[in-house]
Amino acid sequence: MAAKKSKKQSAPKATSNSSPQTTRLWLMYPPKLITTPVIWEVGHKFNVMTNVRQASVTDEIGVVCLELDGQRPEIKAAIKWLEKLGVKVEPVEINVIES
Amino acid sequence: MEKTEGFMKALKCRECGREYPLNATHVCEFDFGPLEVAYDYEKARQSLTRENIASRPQTMWRYRELLPIADKQPSVGFDVGFTPLLKADRLAKRLGIRELWIKNDAVNYPTLSFKDRVVSVALSRAKELGFTTVACASTGNLANSVAANAAAAGLKAYVFIPADLEEGKIVNSLVYGAQVIGIRGHYDEVNRLCAEIAGKFGWGFVNVNMRPYYAEGSKSMGFEIIEQLGWRLPQHTVVPMASGSLLTKIHKSYQEFIKLGLVAESKYKVHGAQATGCSPISIAHKGGMDFFKPVKPNTIAKSLAIGTPADGFYALKVMKETGAAADDVTDDEIRDGMKLLAECEGIFTETAGGVTVGVAKKLIASGRIPANDSVVLCITGNGLKTLDAVAGHVGKTREIRPSLREFEALIEAESKVNC
Repeated sequence: MAAKKSKKQSAPKATSNSSPQTTRLWLMYPPKLITTPVIWEVGHKFNVMTNVRQASVTDEIGVVCLELDGQRPEIKAAIKWLEKLGVKVEPVEINVIES
Repeated sequence: MEKTEGFMKALKCRECGREYPLNATHVCEFDFGPLEVAYDYEKARQSLTRENIASRPQTMWRYRELLPIADKQPSVGFDVGFTPLLKADRLAKRLGIRELWIKNDAVNYPTLSFKDRVVSVALSRAKELGFTTVACASTGNLANSVAANAAAAGLKAYVFIPADLEEGKIVNSLVYGAQVIGIRGHYDEVNRLCAEIAGKFGWGFVNVNMRPYYAEGSKSMGFEIIEQLGWRLPQHTVVPMASGSLLTKIHKSYQEFIKLGLVAESKYKVHGAQATGCSPISIAHKGGMDFFKPVKPNTIAKSLAIGTPADGFYALKVMKETGAAADDVTDDEIRDGMKLLAECEGIFTETAGGVTVGVAKKLIASGRIPANDSVVLCITGNGLKTLDAVAGHVGKTREIRPSLREFEALIEAESKVNC
């Protein structure tokens, strides 16, 4: 499934008091998204800088370790878009909440 | 970086092997791999002898050379660990195996779960690093343990929970004076926010920036098993898997004792147990994969309900290396496992223990644990914490009026049924 590129996403505007931050994430793709250039799209739809640090793609699952640089609202919007697309987005620690 | 602290040498990336100073940090800056404590084993070998261990108090700290603190003594949780290892003959007979042992962390001190091991290590190290506030994100045992141990150590504690968590689980943390913060939102959002908070505030977040130290506490369970078995390795160990960390650390503890010459090397297997309603690691292992796919948990074994297990990859690796099996059990099988352990051995475990017993039963029945072998089951928490999981499934009270005749009639009827 290719993500639609026709409509420009209405990403929230950065507030004046927000400062740039770096967020480190693990993205896990279902098989249907493995052929989609998800990271390229994130970099174009949102004002964030993407930096892949590690990746493993098989027929079963795609796992990408990604650093996102940008204003916090942009990063949050990018994560929301990824999740809507069907990508599982975890912090670098993966499961912070334990039993 | 070569300067040791206690018996620790450095933090080391589990992926690329890069080394980092022994600070409150947990992820490799190059590949985001998790960091793990590396020890000076030659130095540890000098004082960690069977004789010295036997002369020390019966707590998890008798193996302090292989636990990540710089000081000679811990400052938090001095009495944690050295829980009973019981020879469970009645359960062994029921499951059809020659020898079965229960490592019973359902009575671990002070909060009745194995989490006291990891938390006492994390908080002791946090104090060494100068933290006065500690924190965790948890839905149960970890929260209780952080709250209790922090209170005893005079540390301020923050506990983050999903806002919809049952009240019963919150009381066990609130009572110790911890600051409990409920976060509204989907689980994944709450999870990410907790990671952000951990990065932003200068606290000792036990399972985030203190994680390399925290996770090492689990090894004490494996050290104790070896010593309590009379300085031998168990042929089989069955371990419940949530993040998968405990399984990897039991394996590490066995390897370290072999390396230090404290136990003779012999073949052993560390098997993994999950609930069918949340079994990403078990599914992957059974499918012969070395990676797992995230799942959405739906099980009564809440303490194992981690759909994206952080150490899943490493747990799979250990099971593959030791030729071990993984399996999973349904909610009914979990309850049956809890009842079986209680009825045979008088031990009331939480749902995670039911998972361990249920999976052990499957592994023995299928011959993956041979009937002539010996097995240790790791019971990690107390049944009083998950009463709701078995309520309504363990029989009913029979009532009579204050009449001896009625009681005699009841006993007579019962003896007829039993005949």
